[in-house]
Amino acid sequence: MSPAQAAAANGPQVAAPLWVLLPALVLLPLLLVLPGISHGGGWELVGQFASAGLQPSLDPLVLRSVLSGLGVTMGIALLGWAGSVVLGVVLGVASSRVVWQTVTGSTALAGWIRRLLALPRSIHELLWGLLLLQLVGLQPAVAVVAIILPFGALVARVISDLLDALPTRSLEALRCAGAPAGPALLTALGPPLLPQLISYSGYRLECALRSATLLGVFGLGGLGTELKLTLQSLAFRELWTGLWALLITMLLLEMLLGRLRQRWAMPGRLALGQTRVGGSGRELLWAGAALLPLLGAVAWGLGVDPASLLRWQPLPPMPAANWGAVAALPWGALVGNTVVMTLLAAALAVGLAPLLLLLVQPWPGGRWALQALWALGRLWPPPLIALLLLFLLQPGIITGALALGLHNLGVLGRLLLETSEHVGDGAEQALLGAGSGPRLALLYGRFSGLARPYLAYGAYRADVILRESVVVGLVGATGLGSQLLEALSAFAFDELLALLLAYALLTLVGEDLSDRLRRRLLAGAPRPGSPGVGTPDRG
Amino acid sequence: MRTRERWTAALAGLCLALLPAVVAPLPPQLLPAAEAQQTKSRPVLRIGAIPDQNPEKLNRLYGLVAAELSQQLGVTVTYVPVTDYAAAVAAFRTGSLDLVWFGGLTGVQASLQKPGAQMIAQRDIDAQFYSVFIANTRSGIKPIQNQKGLSVLKGKRFTFGSESSTSGRLMPQYFLSQAGVKLSDFAGGAPGFSGSHDATIALVQSGTYDAGAVNEQVWKSNLRSGKANRSKVMQIWRTPSYPDYLWLGQPNLDERFGKGFTAKLRGAILSWRPSDPEQKQILSLFGAQQFTTVKAGEYKKIEQVGRQIGKIR
Repeated sequence: MSPAQAAAANGPQVAAPLWVLLPALVLLPLLLVLPGISHGGGWELVGQFASAGLQPSLDPLVLRSVLSGLGVTMGIALLGWAGSVVLGVVLGVASSRVVWQTVTGSTALAGWIRRLLALPRSIHELLWGLLLLQLVGLQPAVAVVAIILPFGALVARVISDLLDALPTRSLEALRCAGAPAGPALLTALGPPLLPQLISYSGYRLECALRSATLLGVFGLGGLGTELKLTLQSLAFRELWTGLWALLITMLLLEMLLGRLRQRWAMPGRLALGQTRVGGSGRELLWAGAALLPLLGAVAWGLGVDPASLLRWQPLPPMPAANWGAVAALPWGALVGNTVVMTLLAAALAVGLAPLLLLLVQPWPGGRWALQALWALGRLWPPPLIALLLLFLLQPGIITGALALGLHNLGVLGRLLLETSEHVGDGAEQALLGAGSGPRLALLYGRFSGLARPYLAYGAYRADVILRESVVVGLVGATGLGSQLLEALSAFAFDELLALLLAYALLTLVGEDLSDRLRRRLLAGAPRPGSPGVGTPDRG
Repeated sequence: MRTRERWTAALAGLCLALLPAVVAPLPPQLLPAAEAQQTKSRPVLRIGAIPDQNPEKLNRLYGLVAAELSQQLGVTVTYVPVTDYAAAVAAFRTGSLDLVWFGGLTGVQASLQKPGAQMIAQRDIDAQFYSVFIANTRSGIKPIQNQKGLSVLKGKRFTFGSESSTSGRLMPQYFLSQAGVKLSDFAGGAPGFSGSHDATIALVQSGTYDAGAVNEQVWKSNLRSGKANRSKVMQIWRTPSYPDYLWLGQPNLDERFGKGFTAKLRGAILSWRPSDPEQKQILSLFGAQQFTTVKAGEYKKIEQVGRQIGKIR
C-alpha cells in the first residue's frame, strides 16, 4: 500500500500531498499495454505531420478557406454561447429553490424543472447536432441550436446552484421590510450573482469555441470540416494553416476573457479606488450594447434562420422497429467499454497535469513548453487526436481514451496552473529556503493545499469525458459511441433511440456519482473553492 | 458602496432584459424575407457529392460541374460540400440538396428514404465497377489468384474507406465474408475506417495499415498521378464487378424549376463529351468517357448486400 493509499484509507481528514499524483498511477498499466497495441507503421507520417507545423501552407486559396471556416466556427460559437447564456439564466432562475421559495413559498416545482433539465444536459452537443440534422437538414442554425440546448441546460444548473448558495440575509431583510418578491430578489441576489455569472459565462465562450470546432469535424460547418478533411487526405501543411489560425484565435480569446473577468468579475482586487462608482457596470452595459448588433450581424452573415428549425422534414419510411435485434446488442460490453474508456481518460488527464508540472519544475522553459502543449491539446478536437494516434496505434478503447485524455489534459492543466498561481507561494518559498528541491517544494508547498479541490474538479471532468466519449466513436473505439455512429449511418432509428436512452441514463448516473465524490472531496478540504477549482463548469 | 450596488443591480437587470432581444427579433425580420425573395424569383439548384476523395479535388470537380450545368440549364447552380456520407443522405432526404453524386450504397439508402427520388445518370464505368485490394510492399502480402486467397489478410492491419462507402467498404466486406474473413479477424480485432479512398491509399503506402480496399478508378488515377508509389504499395486482387455511383435528383425538381426540368438535366449530363474542353476536364476528373442512363434494377444487388451487412434496415 502506498502512503497515499494509506492516507486515503485513514479517512478524508488527512490530505496527503501525494493525492494529486494518485490518478497518474494509471500510467503504469498503460505503459505496459501500449507496446502491444502500437504498430510502427505511421512514424513517417507523424514526422511529416510535425515538420509541416513549421511550414504551414500560405497559399491564398487555403488561407481564404481557413479564414472563412474560422469565421463560421466563431460565429456558431458566439451565437450558441449567447443563446445558451440567455436560456441558462432564464432556466436557472426558473429552477432555483430560493426564487420559488420567495415567490410562491414552495420549492417543489424547482426540483421538477431541475430534473427535466437533466435530459438535454445528458446528451452531448454532437448528438443534438446529428439528430437535428436528421430532422431539419443541413442548416447553419443546426450547429447553433446543438450548442444552445445542452449548454443552456448546463448554465441553468450552475446558475441555480449559485443562486441557492448565495447568503439570503439581505433578501430576508428586504422581504421583511415589505419589498415585493421580484424587486427583492433582483436587488438582493443580482449583484452578488453578477461577477460569478460573468466569470462562468466567459468560460462557457471558450467551451463554445471548442464545441463549434468539434461540430465542424462532423460536417456541421466551419473550420472543423477543413481540419478533418485535410487530416484525412494527409495534407498536413494545409492542416497546420487551420491549426495555427485556430490556436491564435483561442489564445487571444482566452486572454481577452481573462482580462475582462479580472476587470468585471473581480473588481477592487487590483484596481481598488481607481474605478469610479458604477464604472464597471457602465462598461458592462456598453459591452452588452455592442454585443447585440454584433450577434445580429453574425446571424445574418451565417444565414441562421430560426424559422428553418420549424420546417421539420418527414422521417424516412421506416421498417417496423426490431426491438429483438436491439436487445441482442452486446449492451454489457458497450457500456463496460464506455465506462473503462472514460475512467482511463479521466485518470490520465487528472494525473498527468500535476505530474508533468512537477517533472518540468526545475527548468525555466519547461512550464512554457507545457503550456504550449496543453493549448494544442485543448485546441484539437478529440476525434482528430484519435485519427492522428491511429497512425501509430491500433483502434480500440485505449486509443480512444488516450485521445480524450490528451484533450482534457489541456483543459485541466491550464486550470491547475492558473489556480496554483493564485495560491500564495509562502509555503513553497519556505520549503525552498529550508533546502528542499524545487519539485518537492512545488508538491508540498502548492499542490498539497489544492489536492482536494483539484480532484473534485477532476470528478466533474470525468463526467464531461463520459458525455464526450461519443465523439471518438469514429475510430472504432467500440463503446456506445461507435455503435451510435454506426446506427446513425445505417439509419437504424430503433437502435439509435435505444442507444441514446442508454447514453442519457449512463451520463445521469455518472453525474450523480461524480457529484457525490466531489462533495466528499470538498467536505474534507480546509479551504473549499479556491477560485476556479471545484466549481461546476463543465464542457 | 450602496450607490455602486444599486448601479450594478439596475445594470444587471437591464442587461438580462436586453439579452433575449438578441435572439428573437433580428433574424425573423431580416432573413426569411431575403430567403423568400430568393426562392420565389430564382430557385437555386444545390448539388452535392459524397466526400469520397480529397476535398481539393472535390471542390475543383464540382465547381466545374456547377458552372457547366448552370450554363446548359440557365439556372444558378451551387456546390454544397458535405463531409460525411450519412450527412449527405440526410441532407438529400431533408431537401437541403437537389442533386447528389451518391455511391451505390448511399444512393440506395437515399432513394429508399425519399420515395420518388430520381436516378438521373451514372458513368459508363459504374454499371460494372470494381474495387481493388491493395497492400504495402513490405507487409509480406503477395498478390492473390482468387477470392479464397483473401484469407491471407487475417491477422493483418486492414483499413476500409468510409463506413458507408460501396467500393471502399460494402462490397469488399461482402467479398471478404464470402472468403471466410470476419471483421474481427484483422489485427486489433477490428478494421480501420480511413474515411476516403485517397486516405486509404496514403495510409497503406505509409505502412500505417498493411492492406486496404479501394475504388479501382481512384486507385488508377493515383497511379497515373504518381501519388501512389508502385514500389511501396501494390494491387493484390481485383473484385468481381458490381454497380456503383449515380446522380440522384429530388422528386420535385419539375415543380420547382419548371416542367420537363428533370429530363433537361438528364439530357445535359448525358450530352457531356470529351470533344468539349470544359466537359473533357469534368469527364477526366470523373475518370469516365461519358455518362449513361441508370437501370434501377441493377442496384437491387447493392440493396441486398446492404441489408445483409446491416447498413440498410
